Amino acid sequence: MNEGSIELEAKLIERIVERRNEIVSRAEERAEAILKAAEKDCERIRAESEKQILNIVGSELRAVRDRIVGRSELEGRKLLMEARDEVSSSVFEEVEKRLRQMAEGQDKSINFGEVLIKLIIEAASAMGGDEFIVEANGRDLKYLGENLKQIKARVKKALGEGSIRLDSKPIPTMGGVVIRNNDGTKIYYNTLEGRLKSVRSRIEAEVAKTLGVI
Amino acid sequence: MGERLQKLLDGAESEAESKVTEAQRRAEEMISKARTEAENKRARAQRGHGIDDLIQAEEEKAKKDAAKILKEYRKKADETKKVPEDRFKEAVDLVLKEVLPR
Repeated sequence: MNEGSIELEAKLIERIVERRNEIVSRAEERAEAILKAAEKDCERIRAESEKQILNIVGSELRAVRDRIVGRSELEGRKLLMEARDEVSSSVFEEVEKRLRQMAEGQDKSINFGEVLIKLIIEAASAMGGDEFIVEANGRDLKYLGENLKQIKARVKKALGEGSIRLDSKPIPTMGGVVIRNNDGTKIYYNTLEGRLKSVRSRIEAEVAKTLGVI
Repeated sequence: MGERLQKLLDGAESEAESKVTEAQRRAEEMISKARTEAENKRARAQRGHGIDDLIQAEEEKAKKDAAKILKEYRKKADETKKVPEDRFKEAVDLVLKEVLPR
């Protein structure tokens, strides 16, 4: 074999080996692509399955969430309501304190005797009739007793007629009056506590609005 | 010489075919396994089994959300309690005016 044919043979072997490697390499690439595509398919199948499972158990998961979040919402709303009540109550407590001071004569800016007279006239006017028996606490009874003549005149002026009598038995109240007719068939409660209670139920929302808590 | 080289090429073709066939077999096996697993999971979920992890995860998420909600309400409640003095006074005067006879 001459040198030329040896070189030719070597080149041929080299080309065949290259071709062989190329065939194997291409097959490996294809195999890899097949496996990659399969892995992708598997992921899609798993994702689809998870989605279907979520649909199946969705109502159960929603129930779990509603139970936990709902409880928190409820607790939160209760906290907020309690805070509003606390602020609102502090207003009515302050008013009660101020009314007590007025009734006890500690607030010099208020003539509580005049307040009592207005309470009597208001009650008598609402009740109707011409004879009224006035009940009050010991301190107010003393004032009313000392000023009965003037009070009678004021009532007469306001209502046209009407006689006023004091019940000497004191009632437990911070101030104000309870008025009844002669036979006790009509009673009008015009104590400060009673008025405060009634005002509270009437304007509590307005108070909350004024406070800026609603 | 020519015969040996041809054999080498034939061997390569055969090796290549076998690699691709093996990959296809494995791919089919993977997909079939994934399908079976998915089907089993779905069937279990329909019977209410095997969803503990999902429920636990939802519980954890809901607990975090619930804590956030409560924190917001607490903040709001604290702010509600801080009423400016002038508003408080205005509210007291409003009630007093209504309680005292005119």
